[in-house]
Formats: sequence, structure tokens, C-alpha cells
Amino acid sequence: MEYILTVMVLIGINVVLATSFNLILGYGGLMSVAHPIFYAIGAYCSGLLAIHLQIPVPLSILIGAGIAMVLSFGVSLPSLRVSGDYLVIASIGFQLGILHVINNLDFTGAAGGLTNIPVLNEGPSRSLVFVLLIAVVAACAVLLVAWIVEGDYGRAITAMRNDEEAFSALGRNAMNIKIVLFAIGSGMAGLAGALYAHYFAYVTPEQFGIFTSAALLTMVVVGGAATTWGPLVGAVLLTTLPQAITFLGLPVSIMAPLQGVIYTTLVIFFLFARPQGLTGGSRGGGGLEAWSASAAFRARRDAE
Amino acid sequence: MFEIQNLTARYGPLIAVNDVSLSFETGVRMGIFGHNGSGKSTFLKCLVGGVKDVSGAVAFGGSPIVADQVHRNVMLGIGFVPQVQNVFPNLTVEQNLHIAGSKSDSSFLEEAYALFPLLRERQDQLAGDMSGGEQQMLAVALALMTRPQILLLDEPTAGLAPAIVKNVLESLLRINSELGTGLILVEQNVLAALDVVERAIVLKGGRVVFDGASEELRAKEDLWAWF
Repeated sequence: MEYILTVMVLIGINVVLATSFNLILGYGGLMSVAHPIFYAIGAYCSGLLAIHLQIPVPLSILIGAGIAMVLSFGVSLPSLRVSGDYLVIASIGFQLGILHVINNLDFTGAAGGLTNIPVLNEGPSRSLVFVLLIAVVAACAVLLVAWIVEGDYGRAITAMRNDEEAFSALGRNAMNIKIVLFAIGSGMAGLAGALYAHYFAYVTPEQFGIFTSAALLTMVVVGGAATTWGPLVGAVLLTTLPQAITFLGLPVSIMAPLQGVIYTTLVIFFLFARPQGLTGGSRGGGGLEAWSASAAFRARRDAE
Repeated sequence: MFEIQNLTARYGPLIAVNDVSLSFETGVRMGIFGHNGSGKSTFLKCLVGGVKDVSGAVAFGGSPIVADQVHRNVMLGIGFVPQVQNVFPNLTVEQNLHIAGSKSDSSFLEEAYALFPLLRERQDQLAGDMSGGEQQMLAVALALMTRPQILLLDEPTAGLAPAIVKNVLESLLRINSELGTGLILVEQNVLAALDVVERAIVLKGGRVVFDGASEELRAKEDLWAWF
């Protein structure tokens, strides 16, 4: 039972992460892969505040999320100058740079990780209560993103993603939208990280590397980028699938690379066979099709 | 009034616009012509702050045009219609117009439909599904939603069939006469554009090599030697 509850906690945390990543990558079209670093910042800051300053855990969780939100400027500012492939490179640099710092500081536990992080709640029903809490947080995350992308602001996000030059030509400021998207998405990731830290009481730098970026990207692409329910479906699928594989009883030397192979295969399959993801509808309804719509549109127009 | 003094624009080592000084009134109908690479599109972008590496000064109505601040410069009363990518394909016609007019009065929508009745008929259609001519109408309507005193259009007839070119240019003339909005056209379709504009500028190698009445340019026996 404890195992199932722990998997449910992971699902909830991944729903928050994938949903917030979808806001930046899916809806905003901002090709940053550094999302796990804000997950790390939330986890480490909240854990360190609770360990060293004895700040109450609920407060340290909120501060951790807030710090992640503020540090999102580290990626949103480069995004004002560069986009596409260049933003991917800039975001990888930011992610690896912060991870390098965490890996080399004594007070973060360095490569060995941060241990003895105070847990949020204790008692015989600890995991069950935490599952309920994370379910509420995940539901709020999905609803918050759905609310943001509805209405005028959501249409402005779509227009900015379609074409920044045309958007600016209408007197609209793309810079503000990018900063807001990164701040909200990173704050949510920081919250997920802080919750993770105060449930498992232990975090290590390797949990927040490029592999986690790939996992989050897979969740968003498989579920359906720029859709409300896509990241939720992707997170549930991509969290339970690796757990299910463990029951095959394969040796560790095969298990570890197998997970990477599954992620890569899924992304490639969905890119070609179903770019709108599992939950994306017809054209314009989300997924990678929403990203590529303006490119296809330009190509068609240029050909006319 | 636009005032341009010693404007030079660069892309790295390449000088696209070279020491151009011009001035023109807001209600003007002006065409900017030249062969490919002559700097005409870059010059147009400079008028709205769309080129980062510039020197010299551009002012509109006494306010300086700040480089790389297109969204602010537009609000001075300059409408800008880029050559391509000028509508949002994932949004419907009405949603496109709302994006453009969301900082303005909602009555602007009715004015846009009055100017382009076809857009009212297509208001629920995705912009990406419209024909090239319809998209160009929408692009002009989008720019008008910011209530510009002057419209900058980068090759508004590019890729359009001759009959549609005529429609688009007639729409622009109507906007100029009914709303008093000035027109600055960058065009490859010189003969069609000369019917619309009253002043013509020819750029070569980023420099102004002709500045005069459109009829004067049309009357030149060696007209095509200029391009």
C-alpha cells in the first residue's frame, strides 16, 4: 500500500511539473528545457531553509516556490534575445551551471545530496494525507493553467507563439508575456520540488538533470502540448510505465537504459504519428501541430 | 510627420540602409522601390524600430523611434504590416482582430468590418485557412485596429493574383481617402503601386537615388534601369 501511495505522490508531482512545463513550452512555444532546475531550486531552497533556519515547513515550501519564480529571470531574460534552438542551448547552459554549483557546495550536500530534510507531515496516515494534498495541488495547477490560457490573455499567448514580430507590430509586448509565463511555470515547478523534498526528505543533483528534462518533454509531447489535459495524461502514463517495467524483473544494467529508450521511442513516435498527442483534437486543437501551424502556414503562403 | 536624419542600418558588416535623410507628412501616399537587396524593407522596418543596429535619428510626430521597441513605437500611431507572417493562423478572424484591438475601443471591430465586409462573413474562420488576398485584408485590418495615423506596408501584394492585387490596392486607397491614414508602401510591383502613391523613392545599395513625384518616375523612359 505504501508503494502505491508513493507512486501516487510521484504522479501528482509530475502532473504539476508537466502542467507548468506545458505552460512555457506548449502554450508559450518557449523552447527552454531547464524546467527541472526550478524543480531543484524549490527543493533545495525549501529543504535548506527548513534544515538550517528551522523555518516551518509550509512556509519554507512557499519561499522555495517564490525563489524559483524569481530565479526564472535566469531563463526568461535570455528568451527576450534568443529563441528556438538558441534558447534551448541557453537553457541547457543555465541548467548545467546551476547543477554544477549545487554539485560543488558543501551546504547543499554536493553530489551526495541533501539529507534529513524535515517532512511536511508525520503519523500513520502520512502518505495518504500527502497524496490528498498533492492531488489538490495538481488539480489547482491544471485549473490555473487552463484559466490563464482562456480568454484574451490566452489568445495573446497563442498570437505571440504564432509570430512575435506580428504581435509586436500590433503594439503588444511579447517580453511581458514571456516573463509572466516563465515566472508562473517556474514557481509551480519550485512548488513541486519543495513538496518532493518534504515528502522524500532527500534530494540529489542527478534528479534534476537533462534526463528529467527529457522525461518532462516526453510527458508533454505524448499527452498533448498546448492542451489542458495532455500533461496530466502524459504524467500519469510516464510515471506508471517505468514502475510497471520494474515488475519484469530485468537486471539493473538493462532497466536504466530501457527507460531512456522508451522515452525516446515515444517522442519520435508521437512526433510522426500523432503530433497532437493523446488528448489533442483536430488541427489548431493543440499539440505539436499548434507549434507547427504557423510554419506550415508560412510555407503555404510563400508557395502561393 | 516622419523625420529621418542620416539613418544607417546594418546587419553585422552589411550596410543595408546608408545615410538616408528624408521627411514626409503623416497623410502621404509614398512608395519605396528598388531591386532585391536595395534596403527598402530594412528602411521600412527602421521607421517602426524593427532593426536593432541603427545609427542616425528617426522621429514620428516629434517622438523618437526607439530601436528594438516595435510595440512602443506602434502606439505612437504607426501601423505596421509585415510582408509575411502578418496574421495569426491558429486564431479566427475575430480573435485576430481582438488581439490587435484589445488595447483599444471595442468599436474598432465594427469599423474594421465596415471597411472589409468580407472579414465579417469570415469572422469564425481560422486565419490560416483564408486565401492570400483575404489574409492581406485581415493584416491591414489588424494594423488599423491600433488607430494608426500612417500605415507601413511591406509588399502587401506579394504572391497575390493580379485581380486580388487590384482589390488590395483599392482598399488601401479607400483607407487613405476615408480615414486620412497615410500609406508607405514597399513594393516590387512598381507599375501597380505607382497608381496608388503620389511620391516615389527609389533605393539602390541602401541609398536614395530617386525622390520625386510618382508620375515623374513613371515618365522616365529608362524606368526599369532604376531597378
